[in-house]
Amino acid sequence: MADTDRPMIELRGVTKRFGGFTAVNRVSLTVKAGEFLTLLGPSGCGKTTLLRLLAGFEMPDEGMVLLDGEDVSHVPPYRRSVNQVFQSYALFPHLTVRENVGFGLRMQQVPVAEASDRIVAALRMVSLVEQADKYPHQMSGGQRQRVALARAIVPRPKVLLLDEPLSALDAKLRHGMQLELKRLQRKLGMTFVFVTHDQEEALTMSDRIAVINKGRIEQLGNASEIYHRPRTAFTADFIGQANLLESSVVGRNGTTARVRLETGLELVIARAELPDAASKALVSIRPEKIHISRAPVTAENVFQARIEEEIFQGATDSLQLVTDQGTRLHALVANESATQEAFHEGDTVYCSLHLDDLVIVQAE
Amino acid sequence: MKSLKQLLLALAVLAGSLGLNAAELNLFGWSEYVPQDVLDGFTKETGIKVNFETYASNEELLSKLVAGGGNYDLIQPSEYAAELMIRRKMLAPLDKAQIPNLKNVAPEFKGLAHDPKDEFTVPYMSGTVGIVVNTDKVKDSIRGYKDVFQAKFKDRLVVLDDNREIVTWALYTAGLPANEINAASLAKVRPIIAQWVKLVKVFDSGSPKTALINGDVDIGIVWSGEAALLWNEDKKFKYVLPAEGAHRFIDIFCIPADAPHKKEAHAFINYILRPDVSKIISRDFPYTNPNVEARKILSPEELANPASYPAGPAKLETFRDIGKAAADIDELMTDIKSAL
Amino acid sequence: MLAGTAPAVPVSDHNRPGWKAWALLAPMVLWLILFVVVPGLILLVYSFCERDEIGGVMFTFTWENYARVFDPVYLRIFGRSVWYAALTTAICAVVGYPVAYYIARVPETLRNKLLLLVMVPFWTSFLIRTFAWITILKQEGLLNSLVKAMGAGIGPFDLLYTPTAVVIGLVYAYLPFMILPIYGSAEKLDNSLIEAAYDLGASPVRAFSSVIVPLTMPGIAAGTLLVFVPAIGMFAITDLMGGAKVPMIGNVIQNQFLLARNWPFGAALGVVFMLMFVVTYVILQRRASRSA
Repeated sequence: MADTDRPMIELRGVTKRFGGFTAVNRVSLTVKAGEFLTLLGPSGCGKTTLLRLLAGFEMPDEGMVLLDGEDVSHVPPYRRSVNQVFQSYALFPHLTVRENVGFGLRMQQVPVAEASDRIVAALRMVSLVEQADKYPHQMSGGQRQRVALARAIVPRPKVLLLDEPLSALDAKLRHGMQLELKRLQRKLGMTFVFVTHDQEEALTMSDRIAVINKGRIEQLGNASEIYHRPRTAFTADFIGQANLLESSVVGRNGTTARVRLETGLELVIARAELPDAASKALVSIRPEKIHISRAPVTAENVFQARIEEEIFQGATDSLQLVTDQGTRLHALVANESATQEAFHEGDTVYCSLHLDDLVIVQAE
Repeated sequence: MKSLKQLLLALAVLAGSLGLNAAELNLFGWSEYVPQDVLDGFTKETGIKVNFETYASNEELLSKLVAGGGNYDLIQPSEYAAELMIRRKMLAPLDKAQIPNLKNVAPEFKGLAHDPKDEFTVPYMSGTVGIVVNTDKVKDSIRGYKDVFQAKFKDRLVVLDDNREIVTWALYTAGLPANEINAASLAKVRPIIAQWVKLVKVFDSGSPKTALINGDVDIGIVWSGEAALLWNEDKKFKYVLPAEGAHRFIDIFCIPADAPHKKEAHAFINYILRPDVSKIISRDFPYTNPNVEARKILSPEELANPASYPAGPAKLETFRDIGKAAADIDELMTDIKSAL
Repeated sequence: MLAGTAPAVPVSDHNRPGWKAWALLAPMVLWLILFVVVPGLILLVYSFCERDEIGGVMFTFTWENYARVFDPVYLRIFGRSVWYAALTTAICAVVGYPVAYYIARVPETLRNKLLLLVMVPFWTSFLIRTFAWITILKQEGLLNSLVKAMGAGIGPFDLLYTPTAVVIGLVYAYLPFMILPIYGSAEKLDNSLIEAAYDLGASPVRAFSSVIVPLTMPGIAAGTLLVFVPAIGMFAITDLMGGAKVPMIGNVIQNQFLLARNWPFGAALGVVFMLMFVVTYVILQRRASRSA
């Protein structure tokens, strides 16, 4: 893909209001051609409105929407080379699978022979060739989802929009579809904009994730950036889990700095995390980054804690820790084998934290 | 067993006290023909409750009587329907002792063809079917059917929506007897009627005056009572008895043979023959009043209404029963109209 | 269970309505028998009888009444009635659809108010409303006064007592019966289906013809039935607004009973008429169930 850096979608200061409510607030965003971008956020955050602005179902009150360099801010949906997979699939109940998939081609007046080939190709891609003459109500949820996908892909749009397309599927099917979607997107080289509230889904599939909160983009980056280096407390908390601890800065020293939690526990962090003038800092620690051992270790940020509660979760053990100073922490440890070193409630353990795993985030 | 009898007796007494056995009269009459004042006055004076049901044509009355619906005590057919009923022995003879006011009926309404001995019927009102002309709009002299059905009056005409009436006018125009209707005579009038219906704007028997008052048409062939009301409204509406001949109808009161309240029916007939009551009927429905005593107390203006009391000689005929030819007339008219 | 070794118990036994269900249905069944089945049977019997001089029914078997129904005179009237009813239905559909669709798409509080407006005419007697139309359409009526007052230099329109007036009257009388069922279908229409059509490149017109109309077809079919069937038999409007000039099948049937004293022929017309309803109904039902 030679032109992966070519912007396919550009939003410039887009605002959308519904009455007094601002659903999308001056959002600027660039999606590159062939990119898989996910809009991630809780319900009501504005991600669906953003998608509808791209589809053309809503027109922006302010700002511009560019599609492949062309201003489409006020172009109706039927004149945009953008197709959507709807959350409810929105399959036409009066049409067969074949007719549903061919609907876009019929509207584009693609010659019948060519359309027929493209429909079969699309159905093959989603393994539904055999079901072509069934009606939507005769199919399972997963099958319908794939019909909706095929229908949206067949007109070869510049951008495919997906509005929580997997939310109605059961967990196992959802995992399968996540991978299938990702493979399909790579194979087609098509630009995908995917909306979800499921952070795991976002992390699994996306090239980049835009975390949306209250009508704004909270953070934009690849999965690893978003996960490991959340910029705000909201991102840290919404993506995965996080211990968010308030602290005050007690000293700066070369590349490191010292912060003290309200309980008195002191931690060493990377100085680069900390703005120069800051006297207070909100520390985010992912639960699985807390290393736990029975024996004392020599490392940075070592402290003792008691296990107050232990919950067996299969692959991991979830531990509620209380440090000697009284700080409460949530930790996750891998269950490496059934016999080895299990932790129990009441045990006293040594915790250690690597410097890089202490991230300073902005409070909301 | 005894207690059951007592119970039934108690129920009967109860029913009586609730008025189930009280004197009442089931009157089956034309719609828009008997003033409510007259019904109320009768009940007030006699205590007899009147149950009033209406029909819109003699045929409807006959249909209901033949079908056996309703226990009617008093009916109000036109003379030809009464004639048929007399022949079919459907009417009860009148007890003239109970109707002293019979003396008020004008001699010319006695001993007529439908009831030569006046055994069964008493005239209520009489009228004619004639031409009413809006003289503001129509300056030509209109004297008969031929003057009405001219091409220049296309869509300016209202006529009764009554197939036998229309056929009768055509028979007069063709110079044929109005009461001898057979296939041959119908074949002769067919082209005349086919010509006529093309010119008509409205067929309406219920209230043909409406189209004239609204200005939708200028000439009508209507019941004389309608024409009289139009005259009362505006003197521009002139009534003309067609020169070729006109239908005179006499609407009468008679009692069905199986009427359950014959005494009350007689009382009602006697009541409406009273001059003061008859005057009310003339006020509301200005047809020709056959009651000589009532005519004496009508206002000069009422008597001067040319539609109610047409002047001058004219060929007037009543209808006679034509039996099955009624259906032939219906078929003829349906055929002609459906070709419009 | 081996065949023949034990009395076969029908599996569907408890799906049959029990006596309680029948008890609940009894008033309706009784009503149907008394007011639909019995009169229908009487009509059927009469239609094979002869009439006597005065208009009574003689119970002698004859095909004559049916032979007369197929006389060109009456076939022409049937044809005309069907044509007027079809025209009325088409106009009702074209006028009623946008109204129904719009009502179904507005917010719920407004929707209920608009529905009420559709039904307001039923608060007044049908005859009074028809007479109101006469006041509007007559030569010196409201419409012509309005046109004159506007000074447009057109008119006066000669509308009352014309076929146009009959169709106006019929459309007016039956429009709500088209709007309400279409509203019922349109209200259930999932908005995302319309968006999906737009999304796939359908212009508003194509989205309407390819998606919205097929999906509201059950409502259109029900509306068509509710308008077409009674419109064929309507006679009051033809009399009052059409000047009783052109007989409709309803007028002809009415005349057989009330004027021509020919009940058997009227009954035969009625029976044929009823069969036409049944056929129309079956055709529309088939089509609706196929598209649903």
